[in-house]
Amino acid sequence: MRQKAVFIVPYALWIVLFVIAPLVLILYQSFFNIDGQFTVNNYLTYLTSSVYLKMTVASVWYAFLITAVTLVISYPTAYVLIHLRNKQFWLLLVILPTWINLLLKTYAFIGLFSRNGSINQFLQFVELGSHQLLFTDASFMFVAAYIEIPFMVLPIFNALAEINPSLINASKDLGATQWQTFRSVIWPLSLPGVKAGIQAVFIPSLSLFMITRLIGGNRVITLGTAIEEHFLTTQNWGMGSTIGVILIIAMFIVMFITGDTRQKGGRQ
Amino acid sequence: MGKNILEFRHVGKKYGDNVVLKDISFDIEAGKFYTLLGPSGSGKTTILRIIAGFDDATSGDVYFDGQRINDVPANKRQVNTVFQDYALFPHMNVAENVAFGLQIKGVDKKTIQERVHQALHMVRLDGYEEREITAMSGGQRQRVAIARAIVNRPKVLLLDEALSALDHKLRVDMQTELRQLQRQLGITFIFVTHDQEEALAMSDQIMIINDGKIQQTGTPVDIYDEPLNHFVADFIGESNIVPAVMKEDYLVNINGQDFECVDAGMKTNERVEVVLRPEDLDITTPDKGKLVATVDTQLFRGVDYQITAHDLRNHEWKINSIHKTTVGQQVGLTFDPEDIHVMRYNESEADFDARLDSYEEEE
Amino acid sequence: MKKHSLKWSTIYLAFVFIILYAPIIYLVIYSFSAGKTMESFHGFSFQHYMDLFADTRMITIVINTLLVALLASLLATIIGTLGALAIKDSHGKWRNSLMSLNNVLMVSPDVIIGASFLIFFTVLGVRLGFISVLLSHIAFSIPIVVLMVLPKLNELSPTLVDAAYDLGASRWQTLTRVILPAIGPGIMAGYFMAFTYSLDDFAVTFFVTGNGFSTLSVEIYSRARQGVNLEINALSTLMFIVSLLLVISYYFISQHAGRRHHLVTVKEGDAQ
Repeated sequence: MRQKAVFIVPYALWIVLFVIAPLVLILYQSFFNIDGQFTVNNYLTYLTSSVYLKMTVASVWYAFLITAVTLVISYPTAYVLIHLRNKQFWLLLVILPTWINLLLKTYAFIGLFSRNGSINQFLQFVELGSHQLLFTDASFMFVAAYIEIPFMVLPIFNALAEINPSLINASKDLGATQWQTFRSVIWPLSLPGVKAGIQAVFIPSLSLFMITRLIGGNRVITLGTAIEEHFLTTQNWGMGSTIGVILIIAMFIVMFITGDTRQKGGRQ
Repeated sequence: MGKNILEFRHVGKKYGDNVVLKDISFDIEAGKFYTLLGPSGSGKTTILRIIAGFDDATSGDVYFDGQRINDVPANKRQVNTVFQDYALFPHMNVAENVAFGLQIKGVDKKTIQERVHQALHMVRLDGYEEREITAMSGGQRQRVAIARAIVNRPKVLLLDEALSALDHKLRVDMQTELRQLQRQLGITFIFVTHDQEEALAMSDQIMIINDGKIQQTGTPVDIYDEPLNHFVADFIGESNIVPAVMKEDYLVNINGQDFECVDAGMKTNERVEVVLRPEDLDITTPDKGKLVATVDTQLFRGVDYQITAHDLRNHEWKINSIHKTTVGQQVGLTFDPEDIHVMRYNESEADFDARLDSYEEEE
Repeated sequence: MKKHSLKWSTIYLAFVFIILYAPIIYLVIYSFSAGKTMESFHGFSFQHYMDLFADTRMITIVINTLLVALLASLLATIIGTLGALAIKDSHGKWRNSLMSLNNVLMVSPDVIIGASFLIFFTVLGVRLGFISVLLSHIAFSIPIVVLMVLPKLNELSPTLVDAAYDLGASRWQTLTRVILPAIGPGIMAGYFMAFTYSLDDFAVTFFVTGNGFSTLSVEIYSRARQGVNLEINALSTLMFIVSLLLVISYYFISQHAGRRHHLVTVKEGDAQ
């Protein structure tokens, strides 16, 4: 098995250089201020600043809303899909938009939502008047949910597809109504898929910055935008890293809560 | 006595603290059909893997053709294996699968083609060269696996539960074919199975393995008629195993009743076990029977009826009879002295063989 | 009753599909508009496509993006496949640790990956540009290759490897003649996923790209911030067609592998 040792070298190098080192470095960097001096002030600033704390709460809140909206749209979608004859084909159609560059989809919404864009033209047509759609929290969350729908549909679809149909027949055979069957058989059995979906949507939503910038307006309102701002604009890497560490901790909390229920074919 | 192609000397195998084989020694003669028979987890497959070289013995020596081969890797051994799941390479067609071993050895193309053709002919798969594995049935895959092994002309062919994935009818057909193939090739076959019928039908020699030890070695007839111990008697065929006491030579007491038998050489009043095969028990009228019993159940099995009955001492007997009887009826059970087979507790195989030999001399 | 509910479900599904495809169709339609904005359609024209092909900066960026994607996915596939072989050979605690480390980049938000790579490159003194982008793309593509190859390796019956040894193959011959061909579809799928990951990435590239070098996503980001330009619509349409072709070819690859459900594997990088 000696040559197996040679196999592992490039992969091990990757683990050390691109998995462990960056995590260590971001933690290390978070203890330095903008002038390169060792300090824990970044954490103190974060914990005492109402701006950062509000931003954290806002991020979590937005991520929660995005996840909730996505779930509400996706669960029925997956449920309907599973009952179609060519379900794999229809599922492919749900997945297909994820193969189109994210920036392009976001860019399309800029056109759709603009002051004279199609949505406003439609609103004027039904005499609801023109509205400021772009650069609102609602539009930012809508686009984020739009992007995430396939990632929620897929694990739920897989979980539903795995349910043995005779379980549903058994439930009906034992006298359960359609609703009772759903509530006490289908829903609990699809829960691993729902958890996987939440995990796949919530964590990226916490750190959104591109959609926030383009659709939500050029504002620093989430942890993702704050990190980008600190790293690429104000050059305060220490503070950016501190927020990054906070984000990593938040990520672990979410993963812990949703448990290790990764669905095959899901995002993982 | 033929030449020994393979010898195990005090071979042991442990996985961590788990002892799989305990001090196994045996000889395999060249050109015979051997079967390693035992329940799952008995260690029989481990023996096969040690012969093939996939596993190393923890202790002891393995000799192949007189040479110690403990340190020879699997790819350098003149042994080929037919795997339980066939292990056909999914990305190659039939001919490519069969040709694999020859290509590795660097045999020239023309020879490969001839030998592949020949091997496929032997397993009756002429014309299947270009078929994809996925397009073959289970039975056909089995044949490809055999062809792939024999094309290399190994001295020993190992077959690991090779027929267990086939349905009953196909399995019976393949048993006959394997036996023919072995005679035709004249090489040693070592077949691993947990199916006693398969073992009895095909083998020259059967080795019964249980609990990491060889329980008994012998021809199918020997093992069936003269099981060494409770395990073998129970594992091979159906049997009534009854505790008994050896009164004197040729007289055994079963449940308080004396019966004439053909076994001797034991201590007076030694506690023993007696085997009576269900097909050796005949049903007669109560007055003609050595035992009187009441029929409890009767199942028709095609060739015979499987009957259970309890005697006056409430001991249950299994009887296989071609004649029908009636549940609840009182019948007589009769058998010949030679139908009784006496087994001593903890008798070694050598002592057992010596004891059997001693009666034969007397006769 | 049953028919009624079926109808509602059809309407619901139609609604979802309209939402999913509206932006894409919208982009495609306006790419053929003679006008300069996405506000009203001004008649059919190929003007924006002409502009796009005349835009040498854009063409260069497209070539750069493809080059990075091709190289990154190729290298990631090689390293990832070796990694999968190593993980397959490891046992118990080692195996779990390797899998956890492998998945760190899969679950990390892109912002974190981008920011930490930026620190990493700066510490090492790597100049930001083609090399840093290429290295980053290789790095975040490796775990997906591992995740595509590993199930194929696990599916591989251990007796297949035994059989190869049994027939006289050396370890190297077993690897090249049996293992690699048998897991070929997984490797192909991994390469394909890595390629699309790389093409699609914005956030990580945005952090590590520096000034001189740009990929398509970063370029669209900066142009979109300056206002709408229908040349991008033309580009979107072309990319949509390319994506479609890729998905179709991937579909056939996974069909060939006999695992139809592989095609429903989605990319991760999209959330940002």
